[in-house]
This record gives sequence, C-alpha cells and structure tokens, in this order.
Amino acid sequence: MPKFNRRDFLKIIPAAVSAFMLSNLASRRSFLNNGQSLSSPNVVIIVFDAMTARNLSLYGYRRKTTPHFERFAQRATVYNAHYSTAPFTTPGTASLLTGVYPWTHRAINEAGLIARNMVERNLFHAVSNKYYRLAFSQNMWPNYFFGQFHQNIDKIMPPESFSIIEQVQGSRFSQDLVNSYRAFDDFLFQDGTPPASLVLGVTEKIMLGRALLQAKERDYPIGVPRAGNYPIFFQLKDVLAGVKTTIEKLVTPSLAYLHCFPPHDPYRPTKKFTRLFADDWSPEPKPDHILGDHLQKQQLDNRRQAYDEYIANLDFEFGKIINALAKQGILESTYIIITSDHGELFERGTSSHVSPLMYEGVIHIPLIISAPGQKTRQDVYTPTSSLDLLPTIARLTNNEIPAWAEGELLPLLGGKEDANRSIFMMDAKKNPAFAPLSTGSYVVRKGRYKLIYYKGYPQYKGKGHFELYDLDNDPEELNDLYLKNPDLGRPLQDELLGKIEAVNSKYEHIQQ
Amino acid sequence: MITLVIYTWTILWFFWKLPSWLYFLNASEIGIALAYVLVTNFVESLLVLCIPVFLALVLPRKWFLDLFVARGTCLVLFGLGYMIYLAREVQTKVDHPAFSYRLLPLAIAAVLILMATFLISRIGPIRKILEAFSDRATIFLYVFMPVSVISMLVVLVRLFA
Repeated sequence: MPKFNRRDFLKIIPAAVSAFMLSNLASRRSFLNNGQSLSSPNVVIIVFDAMTARNLSLYGYRRKTTPHFERFAQRATVYNAHYSTAPFTTPGTASLLTGVYPWTHRAINEAGLIARNMVERNLFHAVSNKYYRLAFSQNMWPNYFFGQFHQNIDKIMPPESFSIIEQVQGSRFSQDLVNSYRAFDDFLFQDGTPPASLVLGVTEKIMLGRALLQAKERDYPIGVPRAGNYPIFFQLKDVLAGVKTTIEKLVTPSLAYLHCFPPHDPYRPTKKFTRLFADDWSPEPKPDHILGDHLQKQQLDNRRQAYDEYIANLDFEFGKIINALAKQGILESTYIIITSDHGELFERGTSSHVSPLMYEGVIHIPLIISAPGQKTRQDVYTPTSSLDLLPTIARLTNNEIPAWAEGELLPLLGGKEDANRSIFMMDAKKNPAFAPLSTGSYVVRKGRYKLIYYKGYPQYKGKGHFELYDLDNDPEELNDLYLKNPDLGRPLQDELLGKIEAVNSKYEHIQQ
Repeated sequence: MITLVIYTWTILWFFWKLPSWLYFLNASEIGIALAYVLVTNFVESLLVLCIPVFLALVLPRKWFLDLFVARGTCLVLFGLGYMIYLAREVQTKVDHPAFSYRLLPLAIAAVLILMATFLISRIGPIRKILEAFSDRATIFLYVFMPVSVISMLVVLVRLFA
C-alpha cells in the first residue's frame, strides 16, 4: 500500500475543495458557465415612468435637470428622436415589452391587458430561457403584463419592493397575479373611491393612514413619493439603491426589466431639491387646446418646476448607481438601457399625460444605451420607436428576431438610420379594446414631418381634425401647416388612415 | 344582516366598476375577479359575525344572549353603518386627508355603538322590527352562501391546480 503522508494530504485538500466548488457551481444554472462572456451579455432595462426627453438637460432642456444622465451618456448611445407608441403606461409599456403597436397588442385602456392570444409574444420569450429573466415594476399596471407573461419570467419582484409603506394585496397570490391584482388592488382596496371591501378595505386604509403619519417625519416636505393610487410609498434613494443591488446580484446572462415610478406624478422631491428651480423662468407660451385641461399658465409653470425638481432628484440618485456600477466593472459587461414608457406635458393648458393631446412632450422619451465597455458618446438623430427595443435586444442576446416584431433594429446596434421610416403613436383609452378604433388620437412621424389626427372627439363634433408640423423648423409645434396647406400632409394622412382602416378591418364584425 | 350589508356594498361598487372592465376583460376574467371578491366578502362576514358571538359569550346571558337577534342586528347595523361612513372618509388619494387616523375616535365610536345597541334594543317595537327585519334578511344568506362556496372553489383551483 502506497504511503500517504501529511504533505500528500495537504496537496489533496485544495484540489478537493476546488472540485467541490466547481460541481456546486455547475449544478446552479448553466448561465454561470458563461462568466463575463460578451456572447451572452447581461441586459438591464431601466424605465423611468413619465420621463419626457423634453425636460432633460441631456436633450438640451434649459434647466440643468440631468447632469448625471449626461455623464452616463458620455459612454453611451443617445437616441435623440425616440418615441413611445402611446402617451400613458399601459399601451406604452406593452409596446416596449411586446415589440408591437398598441393597435396590435390591444392593451389600450387604463390597467388593460395584452390580447390573450399574444401573451407568448414578449421580450422575455424573445431572449429565450438561456437567460435568467427578472421583472420589476413599481407602477402596478405593467405587473398585469408580468402576470400574463409569467411562464417566460424567472422572477417577478413585487411592486412594493424597496418601499417604506407597502400594502399591495395582490402580490400575495403569485400563482394568479393578474386576477388577484384586479380583484384586490384595483377593486376591493381601491383608492380614490371608497374601498369596495367594507371591513378589510376600510381597516387597510386606516392602517395605511397611520403608517403615513409616521412617514411624514422624513425628508420630504411635500409628502412621501407614492406610486399612483396604489398603497406604495417610497423614498427615491431606497428605490434606486434597490435597483442597484438588483443589478449587482444578477447572474450571467440575465435580462432585467426594472420599471421605476419616478418621475411620475405626484412630483415629490426631497428638501434638497425642492425649489431648486425657483428661477422665474417660463417657456414660451402656447395656445390653449380645445382638447386640453384649460389650466392657467402659472399652474403649468408651477407643475413644470416641481417636475423638473423631481427629475433632478432622480438624476442625483441615478448618479450614485452609475458610480457604483462603474466601480464594480458591471458597465464593462452589461448593456444598460435607460428609457421611459411615455412623457409628460406642460403646455396648451394641459399638465399631465392623461389627455388626448399628442405633442412632443408626451411621446418624445429618452433612450440611452450603454454597451459593454463603451467609452465614447454616439448620437442618433433619426426617429426611433420603443418597438425597436425588442428586436434589438433579441439580436444583442444572440436570438432570432421574432417574425411578429413590428419594430426594427436600432441604429448603431445592428440597424441603419432610416429617415423615411414611418413611426406611429396612438391614444385610444376610451375605446373598447377589441373593437374598431373610433375615438382617439393618432400620430405618424416621418422624416421632418409629424401629423396628428384627432378622431371622433365631441369637441370636433365627431369629425376628424388634423395638425401637421415640421419638427426640424418648428420643434415647439406652433405652426400648424395643415391649416395653410392640407395637401402637404396628404401622403402622411393617407398612410395613417390606411393603417387605422387596416387595423379596424379585423374588428368590423364586432361593430356589426 | 351581516352578509346583506357587506355583500351589497361590494356588489354596488362592482356594478360601478363593471363598465370599465367590460372595455378590456372577457366574461371569464370578470367572473374570476368576482370569485376573489366574494371569497373576501365571506371572510369579512365571518370576522364581523365573531363580534356579536364574542359578546354573547363574555357578557352575562341577560345582557346579550337572550336578545341575541335584536341586539346583534342592531350592533351590526350601527357598526357597518359606521364603516360605510369611514369608507367615504379614508381615501388617501387626497394628499392631506381631513380624516384623523388616530385610534381614540375609533374607540369612542365603538363604545357609542355598543351603548346605542343596548339602549335601542330595549325599546319593544324597535326590537320587534329588528327581529322581523333580521328574519326576512335570512333569505340573502341562502343566495350568498352557495355563491361564496362556488367562488371559493374557483379561487382554490386558480391558486393550487
């Protein structure tokens, strides 16, 4: 028998430990094998809700709202004419996640759902199960989509993650998120109207009110930020820190969709940022719009100032994330995509995104993509759409671009700049989801021109109303060319009407 | 009486909500949401039922148990009536709600409701009206209970099947 001395034993120990660790790693998930390989890079999409490109200094806004986004952009590709397909969360996010227009996915109403026969067509499915897929949204409405896509998502983080007060009930029923959110958070415990649950609903509201009394002591003079009408109250620093930690913990390769509620209304910055822009500056006034909310200019200016301050606060916290990710080398191996689901409007008597108006503020959104190891800034000026993210991410993750995707590869990430491409946007929240589009606002952007079509509104006596703008020479949309020369907009008009007619033809049997 | 008030309140709000749901939900999705709602109503009803039962157990027999129907009905009507008042007050959509969330007013209201229950049900004609009303309201139990059981099965299938 060979002699086995102490030295031999000491030699074997490290080998045994290594073998044990390797077997352990192999048994976890196959994506760990890829290490930092760029053939399967991590992709992180961070969506800031209701963040218009128009109020970001990154895109030339007068107030210095986003110094840290600008710093991040120095190592990224900035898309300067990027559009959401719709002016509010449900259709805008659904398009981002499905890669198709709202008239295709049909999530066009508030808290609406994607057409049931299309739930397999989504971003998480497109990157295949080789990727670890994680989804988080503070805004409740995208959580309905996550519930619909649950078979393609490895982890759905509850909307109340990173919050100081969390009383969302539907998250407790992870097996049936869509219906439990609908029953509990959109009905039994609803806010803004009396809760439909008389005993538990009222009790929950009393507990929420008491928790809020405690939270008032914090650093928010206007009130603690909250996510719409849902019982999710949070601090900006907690949410952004949570996003950072989530990114840090991602295995490779992963796709993470992280949808943060700020800077969505209510705009509630911390003490440090409140009144940061009390500078008496006011943008050029624009005429009141017949479909607008008819607010006074001073009201619009006050709302704009609060929004800008909230963005500056968000930017400050974002800067911390970027510092940390850069320090840890995560930016060297990860695509970081910053965008929004829709914008916000502070003009023509309207201060929100809940109106039929389709001016640039509400649909022009940021898109900044930092590729692994990118060191210099690149700019794209031709129009792009939120639809384009799905095919682009499919390509970046070495997957086939799905045949059903209606977007194109983004320029500088596999696609080409196409100035003659037509991009559409629409808002038909008052239209039944599975019926022909009757009342709504529709837009086509092609080259320098943008045509807006207001269809079926009683203010126009049910007739169609068109507006045409030359965005190169009139970026503020003050000079309606359609009034002076309707023929100039005829090609765009024919194209848009043809699209709507084609889409409606699928639902004509419902009208009958 | 408990099921009558709790289920009716929810069903009224359900019909208020229904038109917007019809825009984008189909019948089965609305039915499933309603199943969750009715199961919640059932749980709420049981919780509320515990209060008069508890009082009947802990208080002297003459105080509550001998007049269980009348006093229980009175207690439920006052208690749930107060909840309806609160439901209208506690909407936190308003940034600075006027409603006080402190527990003292709630405790005072509870004591007043108990006192009113004991005083009013001492009056003979009112007691008879309460008993008659409660007796006739039993019919709702025969409607809501089977529906709740079916709803519970639906929810169990959704969560565990």
